[in-house]
Amino acid sequence: MNKTISADRISTNLEMNLHEIKASLGSSSDLVFKRFTLEGIQAAAVYVDGLIDRHIVHDLLFDSFFSLTFDVPSKSPLEQIKHKGLSSINVQSMSTINDIVLAILSGNTILLLQQCEEALSYETCGGEVRPVTEPSSQIVIRGPKDGFNESISTNVALVRRRIKNSNLWLETMQVGSVTHTEVAIMYLNGTAKQEIIDEVRRRLQNIDYESILESGYIENLIEEQTYTPFPTLFNTERPDTVAAHILEGRIAVFVDGTPFALVAPTTFFMFFQSAEDYYHRTDVSSGIRLLRYISLFISMFGPSIYIASITFHQEMIPTPLLLSLASQRESVPFPALVEALIMEVSFEILREAGIRMPRAIGQAVSIVGALVLGQAAVQAGIVSSAMVIVVALTGISSFTTPSFNAALSIRLLRFAVMFCSAFLGFFGIAMFSILMIAHMCGLRSFGEPYLSPLTPLRPNELKDTFVRRTFKRSSSNRRPN
Amino acid sequence: MLGNKQTISSKQLLSLMILFEFGTAIVVHIGLESNHATWLSILIALPGALLLYGLYRYLYRQYPDLIVSGYIRKIVGPYLSWPLNLSILAYFIYNASRNLREAGDLLIASVYDETPLFIINTTMALVMIYVLSKGVEVLFRLAQVYILVILFLGITGLLAVSFSGEMEFSNLFPINGGDWRNVIQTAYPSILLFPFSELFAFSTIFPLLNNSKEAGRTGTAAILFSGLVLSLTQGVQLLVLGNSIYVRSTFSLLTTISVINVADFLQRLDAIVMLLLIICVFFKMSLYCYAVMAIWGDLFRIPNTNKLAAPVGIVILFMSIFSAWSFPEHTDEGQRSSMVMLFLVTVAIPLFLLLVHFARKTFRRLREVS
Repeated sequence: MNKTISADRISTNLEMNLHEIKASLGSSSDLVFKRFTLEGIQAAAVYVDGLIDRHIVHDLLFDSFFSLTFDVPSKSPLEQIKHKGLSSINVQSMSTINDIVLAILSGNTILLLQQCEEALSYETCGGEVRPVTEPSSQIVIRGPKDGFNESISTNVALVRRRIKNSNLWLETMQVGSVTHTEVAIMYLNGTAKQEIIDEVRRRLQNIDYESILESGYIENLIEEQTYTPFPTLFNTERPDTVAAHILEGRIAVFVDGTPFALVAPTTFFMFFQSAEDYYHRTDVSSGIRLLRYISLFISMFGPSIYIASITFHQEMIPTPLLLSLASQRESVPFPALVEALIMEVSFEILREAGIRMPRAIGQAVSIVGALVLGQAAVQAGIVSSAMVIVVALTGISSFTTPSFNAALSIRLLRFAVMFCSAFLGFFGIAMFSILMIAHMCGLRSFGEPYLSPLTPLRPNELKDTFVRRTFKRSSSNRRPN
Repeated sequence: MLGNKQTISSKQLLSLMILFEFGTAIVVHIGLESNHATWLSILIALPGALLLYGLYRYLYRQYPDLIVSGYIRKIVGPYLSWPLNLSILAYFIYNASRNLREAGDLLIASVYDETPLFIINTTMALVMIYVLSKGVEVLFRLAQVYILVILFLGITGLLAVSFSGEMEFSNLFPINGGDWRNVIQTAYPSILLFPFSELFAFSTIFPLLNNSKEAGRTGTAAILFSGLVLSLTQGVQLLVLGNSIYVRSTFSLLTTISVINVADFLQRLDAIVMLLLIICVFFKMSLYCYAVMAIWGDLFRIPNTNKLAAPVGIVILFMSIFSAWSFPEHTDEGQRSSMVMLFLVTVAIPLFLLLVHFARKTFRRLREVS
């Protein structure tokens, strides 16, 4: 059935309405029609099996409807049902087939009556969702272990439970012309900047895209600059992280169907802070945070510094070490860049395989990988053992980044730096870093400079960037950033 | 779009001014070749530097919305302003290219003996073009990041030198190097001109500041800080190398750093000096390049100066290669002709502008009285 007809108002004929609904959903077999009579009036309930909560629908149909009596003759039967039905369920009147179909697809149950030009839509959505489990990507030792799941209402509730405040506001909208995905923005009214809220809302409403299957789609569609290796929106599956960011005045964007919520505006340093930093002692957390920045440096520049010093700056290596390196590399037929590329690419392959392969064969691959790429490659004279150390250290370092997608960007850029260092040594590395940092200085996330608070410099906030400031000194309990 | 206003904070100005002042001056022996008391000359040159900066600030304050080419037009009129502006433009281009050349040559002399000068200079110029095409605000933010890197490198280097035990305090005496005239002549005009009078290039920046009232204090702080650090660096070089090597070496800081050996562990800190050179020169050159772009855009009424980054960068690149056949010729140029031009552009022209400005003001007042 085409759209012009389905946008029609519903008629007084129950059978015709049911037929139209059925036709506009292509007679899908999971569509359920329950016919019954209420006080002599023919009625029907329509829903999609699997999208509804069976208990609620059962209560609605059997306990609520069948005990009804139309005792006020002046009002229409529909009005009376609307005010008498199960009180805990949200009810809405609808008058076009199009609205009804959308409501059915969102998991609502529709009640249609003979001789009525309106229908009632009961919010009965439910069905199977994954339970709230520990997040798989951002793990903490100490701290809450609940993570978001694929249901937007659960996710919103998880955050609401942490901030019991009337200023915690939520706005929902549907995005995606085909998928009609539910998207919600949540912020602390009064703390979040109004112009940023407006900008987030405006960009979400301007999305003109057919399908939204994950928050990554939204991220791509609302970020300022698409061509950058750096993520300009933060994502997390931890409710405590989202709550902390909301308290700082940021805005969270939830997307139905994914456990990853987005946070805007984002700065680069957010990716290197773990929620756990705030649950441990200040000195410990500060040390760990510094360690993470050192790891960032190693995972970015590790192989390139090795290549540069082996290729260009041998005089910078202490002589005994240089001699030992030279004797190791004697049997290696390749230049340092090729050697590093072989190892790095194999390491990336191993890592990617580790994520994609079925869990059952995980051990086999890691043993083979470690043996083949470690010892055997050195013994076969393909790479030097120093290179294995460098690559292993680099690889491990990149896992210290709490945010996976920031680590991915660093992984990608590492290869670019390796080429620069192979051609121009430290000068190449220095030039590449100037280029990269200049690029980052030019990035903005919803108006916020990407490298703030480092530049533009905000000394107060910098206290909580590279180290973690203590709670005692602050008058409020908010995390600054 | 949100928050895209191009403004520069005084902290950013401070960072870039310090990096600009360091330039190549931080890694080579500056001033007259024969003088070894450069550290003293730098301190002696500081009052002059502050005075000169006051002059630039004064001129700008008369026309708070205009960059240097704009107020020259206002002060001396459209006809005389063209040759003045073009000579400033030409000099800035030349000086930017000198910086590029110096960095390239020093890198080749120290590490990259098999890499062509053209490759090194091109790399630097391309990165500069990218940064400037993003806007001058990005350059200033970048400076704010890199001032921290420079401070970190500087402090590490300084600590390593002091713990190496290579400093010989007797090298400091006689304090004037035997000839006071030499010390004074190094300060005025040599060190006053290079690097202090080069702050004239910031005349193209002042109107972009978000708080231009603070620029006076910021500049003073930058001059004092960079002057003290330069003096310290030159002093340390003298202490470590001794009179004879210090005045003769082309890349004196590298020579200084290469003698360091702390507990057989910290021995090869050459990378620090290299990074210092690359970073400082990059910022100095980029600021000159921006000054050229701004004046060019103002003279020829080009609204979007960011587009000029590529042409200006390419001109500077080729000029850096062709301006001298060899590094000795390049340094010779620096000691002689460049100094004269520097004096004409950064001292003579501003003084001339000041005179004309006062004359006009006096005449105007006389006319009002009569």
